[in-house]
Amino acid sequence: MRDQREMTRDLLSRVAAGSGATPAAGSVRSDLGGAVLAFTAVAVLGNWVQEFTAFEWSLWAVQAILALSLTLVWGYGGIFSLGQAAIYGIGGYTYGFWAINLADNTGESLTAVLAAVAVGAAFSALLGYFMFYGNITDVYVAIVTLATSLVLFAFMNSTSGSAYRIGDAAFGGYNGMTRIPRITWRLPGGESHELTRTQFLLFCVAAGLLIAVGIRVLARRPFGRIAVALQHNELRTGLLGYDVRWHKLAVFTIGGAIAAFAGALFAAWGRFMSPTVFSLAPAALVVIWVLVGGRNSVAGAFVGVLVVKGFSSWFGGASGDNEPIVLGVILILIVLALPGGIVTNIFKLKHWALNLISPSRDRLDAEVELATQQAAVYRPEPVVSQTEPRSDINLSTPESAIPTLKSAQPRARLIATAGLTKRFGGLAAVDAVTLEFPRGVSCLIGPNGAGKSTLLDLLSGRQNPTAGTVTLDSQDLTNRKPFLRARSGVGTKLQVASVYESLTVRENLWLACYAMPRDTQQADQRVEGLLDWLDLCEEAEQAAGTLSHGKKQWLEIGMVVATDPSIMLLDEPTAGMTRTETQRTAALVRQLGENASVVVVEHDMDFVRQLDAPITVLHMGSMFTQGTFDELANNDRVIDIYLGSHHGNSVSDASSADAGGSSDADA
Amino acid sequence: MAFIRRRVRPTWKALAVATIATALLAAGCGDDEDDDPAPAATSQQETTPAEPDSSSGTDTDSTDNMSSDDPDEAAEPAEPDMSDEPDEPEDSPEPEPAPAEPVNSEPIRVGSLLDETGPLNIYGTPMADATRLAIESINANGGVLGRQLELVALDSKSDQNEYIAGADQLVAEDLAVVHAGITSASREAIRPIFGEAELLYFYNVLYEGGVCDRNTFVTGVVPTQQLQVLIPWAVENYGPRLYVLAADYNYGQISADWVREYAAEAGGEVVGEDFFPLDVAEFGTTISEVQSADPDVVVSVLVGGAHMSFYSQYAASGAEIPVVSTSFGLGSEQVALDAASSEGIVVAYPYFEELDNSTNAAFTAAWQAEYGDNYPYITDLAVYVWEGWHLWADAVNSAGTLDREAVIAELETGTVSFDSPKGTVTMDGPSHHLVQPVSLARANDSNGFDVFETFENIPPSFEQQSCDLVANPDTNEQFTP
Amino acid sequence: MSPDRIFNLGFDLATTISILALVSLGLAVIFGMRGVINLAHGEFIMLGAFATLSGTRNGLNIWLAMATAAAVVGLFGIVVERLIIRRLYGRLADTMLATWGLSLIMVQMVENRYGSVTEGIPVPVGNFTVGEFSMSKYSLVLMASAVLGVLATYTIMRRTRYGLLARAATQSSTMAEGLGVNTSVVNMWTFGLGSALAGAAGALLAPVVGVIPTMGQTFIARAFMAVIVGGPSFVLGTVSASGLLGFIENIGTNWFTPVIGQAMLLMAAIVVLRFLPQGITGTRFRR
Repeated sequence: MRDQREMTRDLLSRVAAGSGATPAAGSVRSDLGGAVLAFTAVAVLGNWVQEFTAFEWSLWAVQAILALSLTLVWGYGGIFSLGQAAIYGIGGYTYGFWAINLADNTGESLTAVLAAVAVGAAFSALLGYFMFYGNITDVYVAIVTLATSLVLFAFMNSTSGSAYRIGDAAFGGYNGMTRIPRITWRLPGGESHELTRTQFLLFCVAAGLLIAVGIRVLARRPFGRIAVALQHNELRTGLLGYDVRWHKLAVFTIGGAIAAFAGALFAAWGRFMSPTVFSLAPAALVVIWVLVGGRNSVAGAFVGVLVVKGFSSWFGGASGDNEPIVLGVILILIVLALPGGIVTNIFKLKHWALNLISPSRDRLDAEVELATQQAAVYRPEPVVSQTEPRSDINLSTPESAIPTLKSAQPRARLIATAGLTKRFGGLAAVDAVTLEFPRGVSCLIGPNGAGKSTLLDLLSGRQNPTAGTVTLDSQDLTNRKPFLRARSGVGTKLQVASVYESLTVRENLWLACYAMPRDTQQADQRVEGLLDWLDLCEEAEQAAGTLSHGKKQWLEIGMVVATDPSIMLLDEPTAGMTRTETQRTAALVRQLGENASVVVVEHDMDFVRQLDAPITVLHMGSMFTQGTFDELANNDRVIDIYLGSHHGNSVSDASSADAGGSSDADA
Repeated sequence: MAFIRRRVRPTWKALAVATIATALLAAGCGDDEDDDPAPAATSQQETTPAEPDSSSGTDTDSTDNMSSDDPDEAAEPAEPDMSDEPDEPEDSPEPEPAPAEPVNSEPIRVGSLLDETGPLNIYGTPMADATRLAIESINANGGVLGRQLELVALDSKSDQNEYIAGADQLVAEDLAVVHAGITSASREAIRPIFGEAELLYFYNVLYEGGVCDRNTFVTGVVPTQQLQVLIPWAVENYGPRLYVLAADYNYGQISADWVREYAAEAGGEVVGEDFFPLDVAEFGTTISEVQSADPDVVVSVLVGGAHMSFYSQYAASGAEIPVVSTSFGLGSEQVALDAASSEGIVVAYPYFEELDNSTNAAFTAAWQAEYGDNYPYITDLAVYVWEGWHLWADAVNSAGTLDREAVIAELETGTVSFDSPKGTVTMDGPSHHLVQPVSLARANDSNGFDVFETFENIPPSFEQQSCDLVANPDTNEQFTP
Repeated sequence: MSPDRIFNLGFDLATTISILALVSLGLAVIFGMRGVINLAHGEFIMLGAFATLSGTRNGLNIWLAMATAAAVVGLFGIVVERLIIRRLYGRLADTMLATWGLSLIMVQMVENRYGSVTEGIPVPVGNFTVGEFSMSKYSLVLMASAVLGVLATYTIMRRTRYGLLARAATQSSTMAEGLGVNTSVVNMWTFGLGSALAGAAGALLAPVVGVIPTMGQTFIARAFMAVIVGGPSFVLGTVSASGLLGFIENIGTNWFTPVIGQAMLLMAAIVVLRFLPQGITGTRFRR
């Protein structure tokens, strides 16, 4: 085992290497200060250089806004979209149609910009609904968005005929739409003014900076924190009761609006739109800007565009034909030497120096470390002395109150199944199980493959049953999504601790606290109580991935508790814990059982004994028998079924064999 | 904020870094500004030396001779040029070049904007080469109005945005004329910019036709010119049933319309028509459909690298229906494909490197002297560029001034013509398009063409009929059939 | 419809599917085994075509030139893996960026070496006639190669020691290393195999497409669709996705127009992913 510091460093390097953004620090004031500074700088320079240079710069500003849309969607929302350029194109064409038809009458084209934003947002909402409510994720999102662009590309190219026109504006096919008006504004009753090139540059820069500040503000708001959270651990976010799909849709739609805004500015810049924006190259180029600059930070969008464009212009001029080679080499070098993009690395210069010495070693180590950690969950772990908690911790003292919501009443409810069945092909993992879990703790045990975890998945909603029902009091939960169940009071702790590894312990708990009352202040307060209760105050600012296994399990239990559930589903809460930790967990679970229905799936029979709760034995997917620990320990048939799959002499022997082996077979 | 205690360094510092980067960049431009009235800024700029350097002296001599070898046609514009030379000083209190220039030994600055890098440089490279050769030849021949030409050449890198930014920069450069653009999209993007800036614009590329704009002159051939020669020939020699395969964009669609029209005129009919997105490279199904329809001849208006595959696959399938094309050869298909795939395809273009006349012989000799003997193929695009520059130079010399109005008026007389390597070409006044010869040729088994028939003075008939800029100078649109 | 037309339609369909399977297989191996999206895949195909071209120009028999080309591209892939890719496993976006950079370099290098146009190679076999239709025998070669490529890949993955190790490394690279497998070397061979398959596809297509430096882009989008729609079980996935997408495109082209055929292919890919988010072969995996 490597020491904590090193692990932390590894984890941080992983974050730096682009595993996603973390919620933004700093205040609106400092953001605005930076924005004003940057704006002033551009304003001074923009007035000083030749007009055509200002004109070229405004294109860069427009492209930076496009890149910002991807920073939001991908860096903050974790949605790898290759469709931003296409939405940009839609925004541009919309601006064109609107402005060509109306600008002459209204004397301004700002409404055309608004129209472009609206159409872009609507289009991305539609596409997003299709993708996210169809559970399309990861690289598949990239492919669907790319395919959409290419369909648009093929379509727009074939619109050369005179039939394709809206009012005065012809699509123009491959040749494109021409004579699009510039950005023009007019006060009611006043004269209309067309922006000069310098003004247009300043307009674009100001808009870009405001959007950047806006994204950072958003990222600090609960909405942004949830967006960041779901990109780190979608499953946990859903289990906390957040509607993952809705959040993704919202992020994607806002990103679409920004991209379309950039598109409108682009159309006003070149006064021209052609279907090229829908082709493969621009789609990839946006990703390149963001990656080069750094997708975890809004500054990355600006830096990315500047660097890529700058290199193309300068090196391109010098190297002539070989510009693509220079660009290609730069891209590869940035990926190898500056993972996470330029901005991230400017912030982590020290780390960058380390990376130069051994470019990949660090990250590889971190990954191996993480993988080992995860694998280690399955085996009993030696006591880690330096992280041994103090003996007088709150957890062991039953009188310390669970920091639940002040407003909420303890409300134990009854979760029940009727004829619940889940089949995988011909195999019935859960076979017509009818059970009730009353207030208090209930245990589910059974040999490997008995269907315990599947049953828990059916209760939490991670899987839908083939037949039968799940009810909570009188509510039918059978086909409800996990996040809806969480909202009705079902809290779930998964077999392998599922926390936000890259976020701090405090952030983890905050997200859980915010899930239910949706109140920032209350959440801030309750986090402190929970930290105290879990005895994680010292580790509060540490990335959750660096916690020991026992503490990680506790953290997850704490997160479940924070959502104030009336039903708690705990899948192997003591896996990977030391004996002392196990004892403490037993006390904790008993305490939880006083206010809620707690269903525990466990292999560790010592732990089960300590819980002193009614036990249900599952075997081959159906209920085998029920009883107290002592009753079952003396039940020969129960011992037989454990012996059927393992070779031990008693229930507790069998359990240790189980704990040592992989429990994946339960699935 | 209670939420985060682990602070990341605020991003405004990064913005400051960006600002510094911007400042550095601006400083780079600023330096240029200090010592150069026309800053190169961030784009590539090259300047052809005002006087031919010694190394290329002999080549330009030959070009020189070439022009003066044919006094019958070339002399007209060339002679005023010579005689103008002494008159020049008095003659040009030009309104165009901005600061008052004391003597007119100052070079005339002219612009060019072409895709010299990126995927479109298949077309752009020969055009850029032709531009340089044309400027050298004009300079060696005494220049324009007795002054040397100085070329400001920008590279648009096969990027639409670079065209727009480049056009904007050229407008700021105080130029007398700009020859620019390759794809139709690029032309449509920059044409309004030059129009607004009243900077005379030449577009020297084969295209779909129909542009009608007082500020724009086109030397490229248009579909009606090719098809009014090719289709009647195909109907007469192969039969009346035509099957059209075309690229699915403006050029292909408009060409297909004209094929239908000329086929009907020649007593034929179009029995099938298919349009292909530009990235389709698999034609099996189409080839079957063609065989199924069993036409007498296939008319191909396929364009670009992916569509090249059609010819290989068509030949491989063993289909024996003959193919005629108005686009085969544009991307050097006859070079890229093996002989079996290209042999026998009949095309109609104004220019072939193989054309047998003395002007062409001198032209190709000059070209090879400049760019080497194993230059792949001098494309017809290169020749449009060559013509564009010479026609402009002749018009200015005839008008005796660089004034845009005067030069347009001169070009609109319909008398400005030039002895091009492909034969005599004349600018048609009302339509601003070129009346030029069109030759029929058959691709041979050695990556070239055998020219078998030349038709002189083929008019741009659609443009002549739809566009009269002499009568309606305010027209500014692209007509479609 | 006459019998010869029906045969002809089936023949075209089989050709389309074979070409799609050929160009996707290498990408599928690399993506399926290592989760790397190789944006330079099209350029690997292009390199295969140019290598074949060079081979025949230097007097090699065309079939020999094709085999050499596949090997050369495979070697090139190994070099690329050692220099770049091996540092980037698990970083999807970064590999995309690096391979995009690589593709830019490759296109320009080849263009510098061969020029933007260079002479192609003739189709090495003739044609045959069924009823009114004459068809290329080379299509039969493409079909046979596709079948052979799929079978060979399947055999390598299922029946060889390397295949076992590679699959083990895919499932759990930590576990495989724990068992003493040098996953780094296995990854290298995997990338090499994928590259060689791409090279072979390029070599086989060289006689029937225009061999130009930018030819790779023509295939890349479609190959991606096929691989993603195919899903995690890549051999089966590639075959089924090529079959499905090829069929749909062919029907669209045949009944309507090539534009609609292409649009239908893209729409089909979108719709399949909407209902099978993990691709055709994704359903047998639970998550």
